[in-house]
Amino acid sequence: MAEKRWLTALSEGDPNALGGIYELYGERIFRYTFRMLGNRTDAEDATAETFLRVVRRSAELRADGAFRTWLFRIARNLCIDKLRQHKLMELPPDAQYSGAEERTTLRVTVHQALNDLPLEYREPLIYCDLEEMSAKEAADILKISVPALKSRLYRGRRALRDKLGSAMERTP
Amino acid sequence: MNNDLLKKLVDLYAGRELPSELEQHMEAAAVEDPMLQAEMATLRSTVDTLQRDPGPEFTEESYQRILMKLYARGAAIQPKAPAPVHLQYHLPIQG
Repeated sequence: MAEKRWLTALSEGDPNALGGIYELYGERIFRYTFRMLGNRTDAEDATAETFLRVVRRSAELRADGAFRTWLFRIARNLCIDKLRQHKLMELPPDAQYSGAEERTTLRVTVHQALNDLPLEYREPLIYCDLEEMSAKEAADILKISVPALKSRLYRGRRALRDKLGSAMERTP
Repeated sequence: MNNDLLKKLVDLYAGRELPSELEQHMEAAAVEDPMLQAEMATLRSTVDTLQRDPGPEFTEESYQRILMKLYARGAAIQPKAPAPVHLQYHLPIQG
């Protein structure tokens, strides 16, 4: 309901609308971009740019439940552009989440192992296992079929397991 | 149920997508097959580890920095969240 209200407000030029949408989705988009990019600074940039693009492309908005998919697609495209830049500049991602709670060895290990996976495998894991999206929604964002998504998800889980190796066995 | 079919169901087992009856059947079959058992346990543990991960913290600083970036790029935004504590209070003027 809140989403529909803010999208209608945005299309009507209400100055409160972007703030409302940011309140609804800011944290999720930030978490997603951080997981894709591996560092806080780039995640903040990508999150801000995602919401700017929402405003610029508000004519394309549809309050029919597809907004979240559309929003994540924008964020994804920005992340992929940034990852390409990193590759060109040979910048490694940060190895840490910040925040005292997140500095446990296993979490850092999981984060590093995820970052080491090819994007093809990392993305389904982020959408389905970390962001708890349905396979259909994840497939829509990636513009692939649900069976293809599941195939990548299952391969990604195995690849992650193999990377985590002994760290997993020590998990209580 | 033959072993090949059980191996094909491991991914669904790991993601807790199987009905409980079938899950129990797999667990019973795995007792006789250590490789299947290891595959089931390690994959499920991987999925559980991911799903327990709270992810990066969306700190107040990050929230405010993103807002500042939006302001700087000319976005009309009026956040609902209160300003951080250090911006809310002012020390009384002495004298």
